[in-house]
Amino acid sequence: MSHRRKWRLAGLLAAAAALCTACSATGSPVDLATVTSVERPQPAGVEVNPGSSTGTAAPVPPCDPNASLRPGPLPPAGQMPAGSTMKAIQDRGRLIAGVDQNTFLFGFRNPTSNALEGFDIDRVREIAEAIFGDPNKVQYKVITSAERIDALKKGEVDIVVRTMTATCARWVDINFSATYYVAGQRIVVDRASQITGVDQLGGKRVCAAKGSTSIMKLRESPAPPEVVAVDNWSDCLVMLQQGQVVAVSTDDTILAGMVAQDPNVKLVGPRFTEEPYGIGIPKQSEDMVRFVNGVLERSIASGTWTASYNRWLGQATEPAAPPAPRYRD
Amino acid sequence: MTRVARSTTTTPGRLTIMAVALLVVTAVTGIVAALTLQAKQDTLDDLVEHREPLAAAAQQIFRSLSDADATAASAFLSGGVEPQALRDRYELDLAQAGAALGKASSDVGGDSLAGDQVAILSQQLPVYSGLVETARANNRQGFPAGAAYLREASTLMRAKLLPAAEKLYEIDYDRLQAEQEDARSIPWAAIVLFVVLAAALVLTQRYLTRKTNRLLNIGLVTASAALVVALVWSSAALLVMSAHVGDAERNGSQQVDVLVRARINALKARADETLTLVARGDGPGYEQEWKQLSTTLVGDGPDNLLRQAKALAAGGATADQLQQAVDNAAAWVAAHRKIRELDDGGQYEDAVKAAIGDAPDSAATAFAKLDQNMIAALNAGRTEFFTQTSGAGKALTGLVPGVAVLALIAAAGITLGIRERLREYR
Repeated sequence: MSHRRKWRLAGLLAAAAALCTACSATGSPVDLATVTSVERPQPAGVEVNPGSSTGTAAPVPPCDPNASLRPGPLPPAGQMPAGSTMKAIQDRGRLIAGVDQNTFLFGFRNPTSNALEGFDIDRVREIAEAIFGDPNKVQYKVITSAERIDALKKGEVDIVVRTMTATCARWVDINFSATYYVAGQRIVVDRASQITGVDQLGGKRVCAAKGSTSIMKLRESPAPPEVVAVDNWSDCLVMLQQGQVVAVSTDDTILAGMVAQDPNVKLVGPRFTEEPYGIGIPKQSEDMVRFVNGVLERSIASGTWTASYNRWLGQATEPAAPPAPRYRD
Repeated sequence: MTRVARSTTTTPGRLTIMAVALLVVTAVTGIVAALTLQAKQDTLDDLVEHREPLAAAAQQIFRSLSDADATAASAFLSGGVEPQALRDRYELDLAQAGAALGKASSDVGGDSLAGDQVAILSQQLPVYSGLVETARANNRQGFPAGAAYLREASTLMRAKLLPAAEKLYEIDYDRLQAEQEDARSIPWAAIVLFVVLAAALVLTQRYLTRKTNRLLNIGLVTASAALVVALVWSSAALLVMSAHVGDAERNGSQQVDVLVRARINALKARADETLTLVARGDGPGYEQEWKQLSTTLVGDGPDNLLRQAKALAAGGATADQLQQAVDNAAAWVAAHRKIRELDDGGQYEDAVKAAIGDAPDSAATAFAKLDQNMIAALNAGRTEFFTQTSGAGKALTGLVPGVAVLALIAAAGITLGIRERLREYR
């Protein structure tokens, strides 16, 4: 009896000891490095849902944005008429063109040769050729979408050829050449995405360039997305590849350039806008507008336009006929 | 208790108490002095073996990262597949930054601010290198997305990595300065104890002279002599040490700090120069920053870091090196002006050539020379720091055991001197 009691006592003590050891270690293992979230890198100057910068309250007079000024006969290269804007450019020795170096197929820097190339750059070279007889007499100034109007107004550039849509609001500040290409806004998403149209983007993160017509269209959409605004269109491709946005929405031509760089993204949905591209020219230089329109007409007539189109956009989009020029006078 | 009280009334009692008190003060003074001097010795060793190498590691992170940013931009500008030399330089920069980061993180300790910087650096460095490699892959295929990835990488570098590296370097440099300050600080506790002991010895001897009519007590004189020797020796050693540490500070660590800042500014400015060309007119911010930074490298203003460094230079060789740096910085600024003229005048290709080509008057050549000058001066500054701080350590050689032995001699003198007098009362 006393034996069993002894054992029971020993057992109790052991149990108590075990319990005490357990209760002394009430804490949890110590983590020296706790990381629960990752801050993703972002392109420079990213803004989410930025305030509308182009939201001028002034009423825009109604107009036909496609109609430009009728060209006269083209002077021969190197012999620009005295006193004209073109003569001033000829005397300077180079054409200053505001372009893009980040939009594949339109205006981009070829990383292998360091040279700017693309459909827009071909237009610049044609104009330089017409003024100097040498397509290389160009100083390229890279500008962002948001800087296009200001660069022209301040006279920093002679022309802007940068996937620029002619709109009545922009006609107030600058002149446009005749339409040299008609694009339309669509969206690009990841290949696995279920999204098929702009109406499914409500509340989702969608990338667009600051100061573009695309960003305004997204804001006006019946299902407004969360707009991620960047400086350059290629920043949008980066953010789409990094999974930081679900879609990019802009002109199909720019989007085609993204699809060409990454087979894992796709163009979806129909065109939901029409974007007539014009070459931007300062408001006061009407002679330059007529001259540029003459160059465009000649380029379309000679087949240069079609050759340039086939080189850059032939595979990416459906074959297109050159737009018929329209004039307001 | 009563015995002690009674003993104060008699001369032998008083003498015993005096002896005990003197021995206690001597022991305390000896121990405190030895410990203080040992602490100084340890501080000096720590400066050379630990603190300065860590500050050097922190600045290594900073300059390797700045250099990687500048090199990546240059490689991009060169078009096509980047030149092997630039690729090698970029890879070495990343490897050095990574290795130095490992060393720096081991020292963070309880400093949460330093810990934060190390966390940012170690989390974002792999992200940065990933972006650069993605940019490279896109470039190889001729896609302009490569340029966008490179811009994102550079933004990450400038917005997060470089500020963290700069902060970490500042923290480490502050610690280095604090430790130098510590090495040069005056050991007040030991000095007060020395004064108390000296006063007690003088008073005791005057008391004994009055009581016994004997002028000198050999034991107490020996103790006083030991005290004087200890005082003179340690004061001289500490003065010499302090002078060395001062030289190490002025011609060593301060000089290095000024040069580090000059080199970082030069690297940042070089990145700005190339990024302006990469942006092709779309980067007015870079050119503005270049103008700001260039005022710290050229000109007669007080902001000119190269001139500041030259004023702090210890030897003629370093001063020569820095004079060359001043000249090369001027050559670089001239080359930069030419680049801007060419680019603004529409000669982009020539501007690129002037920026990254290897012509003798190109910006790349002038910058490379300037960088070499600054590296040479930086290394000279570090060597000066090492020499002077080691010299400071040598000035204290043997002082700790010496002070201990002198304290024992003083104690023996006190014991013998007073026991001799006590014997006369038996």
